[in-house]
Amino acid sequence: MDWEVVFESVPLIWKGAGATVSMFAWALVIGTAGALALALMRLSASKALQWFAIGFGWLFRGIPLLILLFFAFFALPEIGILFSPFLAAIVGFSLWTAAYQAEVIRSGIIAVPPGQSEASEALGMTKWHYMRRIVLPQGLRIMVPPYTGNAITLLKQTSLATLVTVPEMTLLTQRIFSNNFKFIEPIFVLAMIYLAMTSVLLILSVAVEHAVSLKV
Amino acid sequence: MELDWGVVVRSWDLLMQGTWVTLVLFFLSLLLGTALGLILALMRMSQFRAVRWLSLGYIWVFRGIPVLVILFFSFFVVGRRLGLTPVQAGILGLGFSAAAYKAEIIRAGILSVDPGQAEASEALAMSKRHYMRRVIIPQSIRVIIPTYMSNSILVLKVTSVAVAIGIVELTGITRQLSNSTTRPIELFTAAAGIYVFLTTVLVVLQEVLERRFALKT
Repeated sequence: MDWEVVFESVPLIWKGAGATVSMFAWALVIGTAGALALALMRLSASKALQWFAIGFGWLFRGIPLLILLFFAFFALPEIGILFSPFLAAIVGFSLWTAAYQAEVIRSGIIAVPPGQSEASEALGMTKWHYMRRIVLPQGLRIMVPPYTGNAITLLKQTSLATLVTVPEMTLLTQRIFSNNFKFIEPIFVLAMIYLAMTSVLLILSVAVEHAVSLKV
Repeated sequence: MELDWGVVVRSWDLLMQGTWVTLVLFFLSLLLGTALGLILALMRMSQFRAVRWLSLGYIWVFRGIPVLVILFFSFFVVGRRLGLTPVQAGILGLGFSAAAYKAEIIRAGILSVDPGQAEASEALAMSKRHYMRRVIIPQSIRVIIPTYMSNSILVLKVTSVAVAIGIVELTGITRQLSNSTTRPIELFTAAAGIYVFLTTVLVVLQEVLERRFALKT
């Protein structure tokens, strides 16, 4: 390994970190909002809403993320929906996040003992009210580990955006090695940056888990 | 615009060829990942600290970097040095990636077996190797199946990333066909349908296996 090439590659690849992080952040925010909606639909009294949420989860968890990205990038323009590569990637990542995090949120909610909502009802709280004030806060504790696990997966998946030409870290790495045919150095740098990012998220998730854990 | 689903029928043979490559990538990387995962899981429970740390380090690195980057490494670095074909490099990369996840799944399964079982085996003078193979691992299978299978569904979907190192599997052939026919909607919908079919088969298989290995009471 030629360390000179390694040090030259770092700033070139780091230029893509902004795109990587912003795709991650946007998809996480949009996807989580969608996931919460899907989880509540799944637990609602309406059969139609339940089936919609089940169908959504089955479809978007059954299709590879890359196919979602290609669909958003290559197919949607055919029906007049033209996204920039960056937006197409966010659409794909958000759908993926919504489908996976919906399961996490749903299992967190159903893990809360039903006595909690019965007691809330007995106290005259509306469903909306006790979901927000009683059930979700307690479910949160159970949701944290799988939620952050999915978030770390999402961060890694943003590398796929290179295949729809988003200039993020992986694309910039490919650009380096297709110019100088030095493979090991830029790929090593890229791997180390991802490893650092996912390790930060891992430490963060342990801290959050600790913060929301029951103090006894 | 008009949709022309005939393009899917006309491309069917090529789509099936791509599906075949996807299945080859899936089965062989699953095999490699499971064998390596079992070794890593046993290493994590070794009495030697260095062996435990080696396994932990492997898992941390391979779970911490994207599959795409692992594939770049196996194709552009390892594959070029050893003269591997793209498919061989793909199986290697996907298998080494899968191993990190399988190791944790197998380890959790082994740890779930009541320690009394190992103690009783020792009291019966079985060697560690012997009771691992005959007592502990068979009992852990029941716990391993659900997580192992849902992880395998992810492995199947992740094979699509192999398109990035030039392997013409289902996603790759679909992208080529959609470029040459300018019918991306129909073709990507067809590919999505094939993937959903394959993952659904795995979900059904999971149900069957869970039932077969369930405790009969």
